[in-house]
Amino acid sequence: MTDRLTEGLAGLLRPVLAVLLGLAVGAVAIWATGHPVGEAYAALWNGAFGNRTFLGSTLARSSTIALAGLGVAVAFRSGALNLGGEGQLALGGLAAALFTIYVPLPGPLPLVAGLLAGAAGGALWALLPAWLEVRFKVQLLISSLLLNYVAVFMASYLVSVPFRDLSGGGALAQTKLIPEAARIALLPGTRMHAGILITLALGLVLWFVMMRTVTGYEWRMTGLNPDFARYGGVNRVRALVTAMLVSGAVAGLGGAIEVMAVYHRYIDGNLTRPGFAWSGLMAALLADSHPLGVLLAAFLLGVIQVGSTGMERTTQIPLEISSVVQAVIVLFVSVRIGVDLLRRFRGRRAARG
Amino acid sequence: MADLFDIQLLHMTLRTVVPVLLAALGGTLCERAGLFNVALEGMMLAGAFGAVAGSFFLGGAGWGVLAAIAAATAIGLILACLSLNLRANEIVVGISLNLLVTGLTTFLMRVVLGATGTFHHPDLKGLPQWSPEWLQAIPVLGRLLSGHTPVVWAAYLAVPVLSYFLFQTTVGLRLRAVGEHARAAQTLAVNPFRMQYLAVVLAGVLTGLAGAQLSLGQVRIFQENMTAGRGFIALVAVIFGRAHPTGVLLASLLFGLIDALGIRLQGVGLPSQVTGLLPFVVTLLTLVALRGRGLNRQGTA
Repeated sequence: MTDRLTEGLAGLLRPVLAVLLGLAVGAVAIWATGHPVGEAYAALWNGAFGNRTFLGSTLARSSTIALAGLGVAVAFRSGALNLGGEGQLALGGLAAALFTIYVPLPGPLPLVAGLLAGAAGGALWALLPAWLEVRFKVQLLISSLLLNYVAVFMASYLVSVPFRDLSGGGALAQTKLIPEAARIALLPGTRMHAGILITLALGLVLWFVMMRTVTGYEWRMTGLNPDFARYGGVNRVRALVTAMLVSGAVAGLGGAIEVMAVYHRYIDGNLTRPGFAWSGLMAALLADSHPLGVLLAAFLLGVIQVGSTGMERTTQIPLEISSVVQAVIVLFVSVRIGVDLLRRFRGRRAARG
Repeated sequence: MADLFDIQLLHMTLRTVVPVLLAALGGTLCERAGLFNVALEGMMLAGAFGAVAGSFFLGGAGWGVLAAIAAATAIGLILACLSLNLRANEIVVGISLNLLVTGLTTFLMRVVLGATGTFHHPDLKGLPQWSPEWLQAIPVLGRLLSGHTPVVWAAYLAVPVLSYFLFQTTVGLRLRAVGEHARAAQTLAVNPFRMQYLAVVLAGVLTGLAGAQLSLGQVRIFQENMTAGRGFIALVAVIFGRAHPTGVLLASLLFGLIDALGIRLQGVGLPSQVTGLLPFVVTLLTLVALRGRGLNRQGTA
């Protein structure tokens, strides 16, 4: 086998093995609740793929996870540990809702404007930790993480007080419905929406930008070795700022599409409670921040999450089991078991750190 | 403004700051041993769950505290095993563990305690509140210091104890040596892993106590994701306090005062979201004020 083929296989083996181990841990948890494991996993499969509606939910959820994950991937590849996806996604969704509701535009413009507003909302919020790092040397890892809480409380306040929809008695903290023209087409009776195509296209575009353009090269060099990148004439600040802008924009777009296709309004907690951003982060970790890999990993996580909702319906096993399985998968991937195993298989010595 | 600050506010601060302080002390030990512990949040949450489960099933707050320590330490040991022995990225492992604990505690709350969202039960025993008569007799100080749980006392006692441990004992010196230069420590026959494991286990004890105070001290419930970012604020307290127990205490007290003030302001009519984001904004502002001078490390892997 050539080395490249070996590396490629090792790259694939790692996530596959991790998923199997994750499912094994899940099986232990299911067994502990006293349910037959086979039956439970059959229910999970059925919950994710059983019919048109289930499949639609799976794809819609995977799509939003993928956008959050693509955002994280761009940042991670550039060496920016952007943990602020939650805030960027939520504020993107809120920006899309408010812009389309309060800025009337003719024809199909609201659709475009909503998506752009969402991307801008996420990008601006991501710019804040980048600025704090460049200007005040505040670790981006920590500032982006803390800014999640600020964003979520802020969004919650905005839809609870100034922008609350009071028409139906105002019992819920949510905005008004966005205009018809700003809604993304849904396949009737499902959650399958046209935004999924945007996600797929964006995955390809980001792969191209990252692997085939100068900007992408500068990002990757900054991430791999900032000193080398600077020596080669890369402006570190510019690379960091552009990577964070794109990262936040993609996450914000995820929030915008979720609002414009699924809920048609911003509802407090709807973009944060399902944990889209954290699932996206997991997808990026699983795929080692490769854009096309992120799409695949996001699909896998979408299947596990929507599937376990179905599993809860038929077997009463709490759906939180999906969080456990997912975290275990990421933990296994993080220790690079696949690579080590393959190396051992081929009788090589694992490289010593 | 005058009725915002009074003895009761300080009493509340002393109490509410404890989970953050304990977690930050645990983080300080890890930091000193050269392990950036992002999993403080998860360890504390595991502790909070362990405390409630232990107290409920074994019928006493003491058992709860032991279970809390065991649960938090278990998470810490996973972090140490994966990032030290298996050389995984400590930040990735820390984040994943936080997500794991969030899911696992919610899962177990539903399976074991049979509750969704929040678990409370009349039979659930909380931590005792300690107010001896001689203490209450002291004029101002008595009101400030009585009515606290033993964990609160332990937290403040831990500050001088850990200062002594880190800076006056041989083991403390070795632990710091490992954090500053593992190879150099190794040449002096100090086993870096042993020191880092020691730090993680002690952090497990401290975050376990933090969790117990949170679920059995402040209240008597377990709530989904009830740590609500306190572990991350503790992480900032470690940076702000320059990984020195006294500095960490001062940083935690500042954040705790803001938190207590927020709760007070909520009573005056400020929206809960505004008071909720206050500690995080103050935390960020302190980082801005430090301008990267908190710790001599990049934090990136």
